[in-house]
Amino acid sequence: MNLRLLCSTVRLQMKQSFSRPMFRFTLIAGPVLNTILLYEMFLSSGEENFFSYVVLGAGLMGIWGCICFSSAGDINRERYMGTLALIFAAPAPFRKTILGKIIGNTLLSLLTFLVSLLTAVILFGVKVRIAEPSHFLVAFAVTIVSFISISSVIACVLTLSRKTELYMNLLELPIALLCGFVFPLELLPPFIRVISYALSPTWAVRLLRRSVEGGTEPSLFFRELLITLVLSAVYALLSLLLYRLIEKHVRIRATLDVA
Amino acid sequence: MIASVRRFYEEAKLSHKGRSAAFAAEEFVLYEIGYPLVTMIFYCLLASFSFRTNDLSRWVIGNSFLLCTNACVFGTGRVFASERYNGRLRSIIASPCSKYGVILSNGVFPVFFASCAALLGMITGALVFQTDFSGINMGLVALAGLCAMCSATAFGLLLASLCLMTDSMHLILNIAAYLLMLFTGAEFPVSQLPLPGRVIAMMMPLTKSIRATHLLLDGEDGSFFPLIGAELLTAFAFSLASLVVLRVAERAARKNGRFDLF
Repeated sequence: MNLRLLCSTVRLQMKQSFSRPMFRFTLIAGPVLNTILLYEMFLSSGEENFFSYVVLGAGLMGIWGCICFSSAGDINRERYMGTLALIFAAPAPFRKTILGKIIGNTLLSLLTFLVSLLTAVILFGVKVRIAEPSHFLVAFAVTIVSFISISSVIACVLTLSRKTELYMNLLELPIALLCGFVFPLELLPPFIRVISYALSPTWAVRLLRRSVEGGTEPSLFFRELLITLVLSAVYALLSLLLYRLIEKHVRIRATLDVA
Repeated sequence: MIASVRRFYEEAKLSHKGRSAAFAAEEFVLYEIGYPLVTMIFYCLLASFSFRTNDLSRWVIGNSFLLCTNACVFGTGRVFASERYNGRLRSIIASPCSKYGVILSNGVFPVFFASCAALLGMITGALVFQTDFSGINMGLVALAGLCAMCSATAFGLLLASLCLMTDSMHLILNIAAYLLMLFTGAEFPVSQLPLPGRVIAMMMPLTKSIRATHLLLDGEDGSFFPLIGAELLTAFAFSLASLVVLRVAERAARKNGRFDLF
C-alpha cells in the first residue's frame, strides 16, 4: 500500500511540477544559463576539465534550485490550494506523501545535469571526462539520497511556516555557497566550513568531484561516502522526529492552514 | 503638483506595507539586505576561484550594481503580476490614472533597500575581500550606479508592460536577471562573448555603467562620460519602447477583456 502511495505521489508530483512555468525555468532555462555563465567565468581559469566545475556546478545548482522552489514550496502550494489539511488528515501517512513529492521532484530535477551537459557539449564543445566512472555512478546515487534527505528536513520545518516563499528564496544560494557547488570549500573561512561539514550535500559534491577528477585514494573516497550516508541517515531520522512533533502540534492547535 | 507627489508617496508606502506586512523586521532585513549580500559574496568567491585573482574590486562593484539593477527590474517588472494576484489589475487598467505612476511608485522602496544593500555590499566587499577603493572617485562610481538604475528601471517598465500579455512574469523576470549577469560584464568581460553576444550586451542596461567604473578602476577616465551618456540613452530608448508596448498591451487587454485569464 505504501509503495503504491509513494509511486503514485511521485508520478503525480512530476506532472504537477512540470506543469509550472517556474519549475520548467529551474529545470531547463536555469541550467542552460548557469552553464553559459560558469563556462564564461572559467574560460580564462586555466582549468582543463570543464566538466568538474561547469557541468557539475550548473547541474548541482539546478537540482538545488528545483528542490528549493518545489520540494520546499510544495507545502505552501498545498496550503494555498486548500489541500494541505486534507493530505495531513488522510489515512495515508503525511510524511510518506511528502516523501513521495520530494522523490518526484528530485528525480525530475536530475534532468538539470543532462541539460547542463548538453549545453556545455553543444555550445562549447566541452569534453566529458570522468576519471572514475564507477565511483561517479556511486557518488551520483549517494548525491540523490543526500538531496532527498536534506529536502525532507527542510520541507518538514517549513510545514509550520506561512513564509515558505521567503525561506525558499533565502535557501538557494547560501547552500550552494556552503556546499561548494561551484568552488572548493577551501575558499571559505574555517569557521564557516564547520557548517559546510554538517551538510550532507557538501560530502556528496566532494565525492562527485573526486570521481570526475580521479587520483583519489579509494580509502578516502569510501570514508567520505560513509560520512555522506551517515549524515543522510541522521537527516532522515531528524525529519521523522520532526514529523512526529509537528503532527502532534498541528493536531492540538489545528492551525495547519493558517500556520 | 504637491498632491501628485503625495499620492505617489502614499502609493509607494502602501505597496511597501503590502509587501512587508507578513514579515518580522529581522526576516525583512534578512531578505532585503542579508540575502543580496550573500549573493554578492557567492559571485565574488566564484570569481576569485575562476579568474584566479585576489583583486576582486571589479566584481564587488559589478555585483553591487547588479543588486541595485535587479531590484529595479524586479521591483518595477513584477508590479502588474502582483496586482493581478491581488485582484486589482482590472481596476488599475480601467481607471484613468497613470499606469507608469503605479509601476514606478511600487518600485520606490525595493530600489531604496537595494541601494542600501549595494552600499553595504561595497563596504562588506572592501572588508571581506580587502578591495581597495581609495584611489577611485566614489562620486563618479555613484553617478554610474545611478545611471545604471535609471536604465534598469526603464528595462523593468518594458518588462512590466509585457505582463498584460502573459501570465509567466516569474519566468521572464528570472531570465532577465540571468541576462543581466551574462551580458553586462558584471561577472566576466563582455569581450569574451561572440559578436552577436557583444551586440546584445551593448543594448542591455548596466553594461556601459560597468564599463565606465572599470575604466575608473584602471585609472583611465577619459571615456567615462561618453559611456554614462550612452547608458542614459539606453534608459531613454527602453522608456520609449515601454511606452509603446504599454499602450499596445493596454489596448489589447481592454479589447480582449483578458486581464486575468490567458
